[in-house]
Amino acid sequence: MPEETDGRPVQTEQGTGVGTGLDHRRRWLRTFRFQSVDHVPDEEFGYWTDTYRVWQREGLPREVASEAAANRYFGFAPRARVPVVMGVRPMLPVRVLEEDERHRVIVNGLGQTLLQHKDGTSSIPHFIRFPVENRTDWLEFRKRLDPDDPARYPANWEQRLPEWRRRDYPLGIAVGSLFGWIRNWMGFEGAAAACIEQPALVEEMMEHVTELVLHVLRRALADVPLDFADFWEDMCFNSGPMISPRLFRRWMVPRYRRITDLLRGSGVDIVYVDCDGDITELVPLWLEAGVHCMFPLEIRAGTRPEDLRATYGRDVLLMGGVDKTALIAGKRGVDEELARVVRLTEQGGYIPHVDHRCPPDVTFDTYLYYLKRKRELLGVPEPEAPASERVRAAMS
Amino acid sequence: MAGQVPACPQHMSLEELRTAVVEGERTAAVAATRSALGEGVPARSILDDALVPAMATVGDLFKRRQYYVPEMLMAARAMKACMEVLRPELVAAKVEPLARVLGATVQGDLHDIGKNLVLMMLEGAGFEIVDLGVDCTPERVVTAVREHGARLICLSALLTTTMPAMRETIAALEAAGVRGQVAVLVGGAPLTQAYADEIGADGYAPDAASAVDKAKEVLARLTA
Ligand code: B12
Repeated sequence: MPEETDGRPVQTEQGTGVGTGLDHRRRWLRTFRFQSVDHVPDEEFGYWTDTYRVWQREGLPREVASEAAANRYFGFAPRARVPVVMGVRPMLPVRVLEEDERHRVIVNGLGQTLLQHKDGTSSIPHFIRFPVENRTDWLEFRKRLDPDDPARYPANWEQRLPEWRRRDYPLGIAVGSLFGWIRNWMGFEGAAAACIEQPALVEEMMEHVTELVLHVLRRALADVPLDFADFWEDMCFNSGPMISPRLFRRWMVPRYRRITDLLRGSGVDIVYVDCDGDITELVPLWLEAGVHCMFPLEIRAGTRPEDLRATYGRDVLLMGGVDKTALIAGKRGVDEELARVVRLTEQGGYIPHVDHRCPPDVTFDTYLYYLKRKRELLGVPEPEAPASERVRAAMS
Repeated sequence: MAGQVPACPQHMSLEELRTAVVEGERTAAVAATRSALGEGVPARSILDDALVPAMATVGDLFKRRQYYVPEMLMAARAMKACMEVLRPELVAAKVEPLARVLGATVQGDLHDIGKNLVLMMLEGAGFEIVDLGVDCTPERVVTAVREHGARLICLSALLTTTMPAMRETIAALEAAGVRGQVAVLVGGAPLTQAYADEIGADGYAPDAASAVDKAKEVLARLTA
């Protein structure tokens, strides 16, 4: 494997191994290449929106109310994606279809019809209809998946290139979703039924997304040396994948492959997939498809990083795998959970963090304890800036 | 199995019906239901000897990971379509459902895919279903128990933050004095048997296929 994807020389730490003076980018890449590092990248997945509110009552400064702010406040290692829009564009203005004193029926930006409660009995929307039910809907919907839409790239793209080329942090690109998006567009039942009743339509949608991603990717790959690409699927639950591995292999593997071949040909050799649930049955297929980094490794669903490492060795890269329910249980749970992941972290190719966004039933105190213990055990230095400065940074 | 069934027309159409349901062929299943009725097969026999065993096979295929959600869903839809045809006949013949079941995703939670599958499998096993939808307050569940005279409640939660709402729902049933007349079955990704025990539920099942066995088991205990 090449030392660095963009051909820049890497400081070599021959012999002794431990690389001091690594910047965030090199540390990240070296971790995923099983090379020596001073410590593993300091990353976390994020938080539910409710979590900020609950933690603010428990001592989190009020200014910290978004993921970007939280990342700065907790002092995590930076990592970013280029602002390219791969998915549906534009979002439509929200339309109100019906309204009375208690309810409102709206069509949101994506085209999903939702029932909302206005009387405060519930803040939870109810899905009524999804934008794609059949091929006619799809042909209309597809207009917002136009590969040639110039607005997929920001107007200041060219101006930002020098900064990205000089960066010291990992930079990547989101490369969409072959099944997860279809589930959002058709609803879960709609998508599941379509797999059986309208298989040609499902394949047509996947093919369109593949072509869209390949097309949109090319400019970014030509302009910036990128470190990673990520798919989003969320197509597994506690009993395994939502569709059969047979359909996955037939429809998805070859299409992922076209995308990952293009990525690798351009030096992007870290490709991860975001998929909750028990992914065990799909991992070999993702590996075959050139998607070799698994995230976020949901422990309670039965996906364990140590098992994947034991089965696939260094063919698989891992991110996540710290059980959120252990943090809910409190400090003892944290200690036990961290003990589980330390050895695996030392072997490389793995960045441990909570296995989904941190829920509000984890207390702020437990979370701070978790970060402190994790940093101690993994030799990650505490962020240098004092809290007051980090609050200021969080606001910037 | 097919070899053991005598080839009289009645068995033929039930066999066809079973296969059509297992394979999720809705149109064929409805046609087979109609032709069985036309041949004079009693509605009860169509239910007990074709639909229920077909859905049991589906549950089994799901447990063995030969079926995934789409296949299970198609079978359940085929079965539901047959039930539409059969229901008036069952009512006329005074065939009682196994029990009336309430299904609800608890307050604060909108995940309903799992609950819907559980309810479909229960319907396929001969239960009558009342689906209360998502984000159900404890009060709604209590009111519905009274209104429908349900014997079993299926509560679903997919979030650790909404699991406590299951406990609150059970407490509300107790406070309303109806806890003794219904069995409570709980499920959802973050749940465990230990949690079900802790909150005083009557049963827990990890998936839609085992939910059917569990439902029968807890109901048997309720009547015992
Ligand atoms: C699809 C999904 C969604 C969809 C739901 C669509 C819908 N209409 O249901 C959407 C995108 C809307 C969604 C939203 C959210 N989600 Co969500 N979601 C999932 C996902 C990926 C799959 C769930 C699913 O549908 N599975 C398929 C069905 C078939 O399986 P199932 O529900 O588990 O049901 C089976 C069994 O559990 C059992 N069962 C279920 N109910 C019952 C009941 C009884 C009585 C019995 C016996 C059995 C039983 O039988 C079923 C069939 O075999 C899970 C991941 C996971 N591990 O499950 C996350 C997950 C549940 N979601 C999660 C989160 C955080 C959220 C959000 C808060 C996200 C956010 N930040 O906004 C919101 C919550 C909104 C709300 N208030 O409810 C987290 C919960 C973490 C936690 N702390 O609990 C999970 C676990 C993801 C993760 N990796 O952490 N989500």
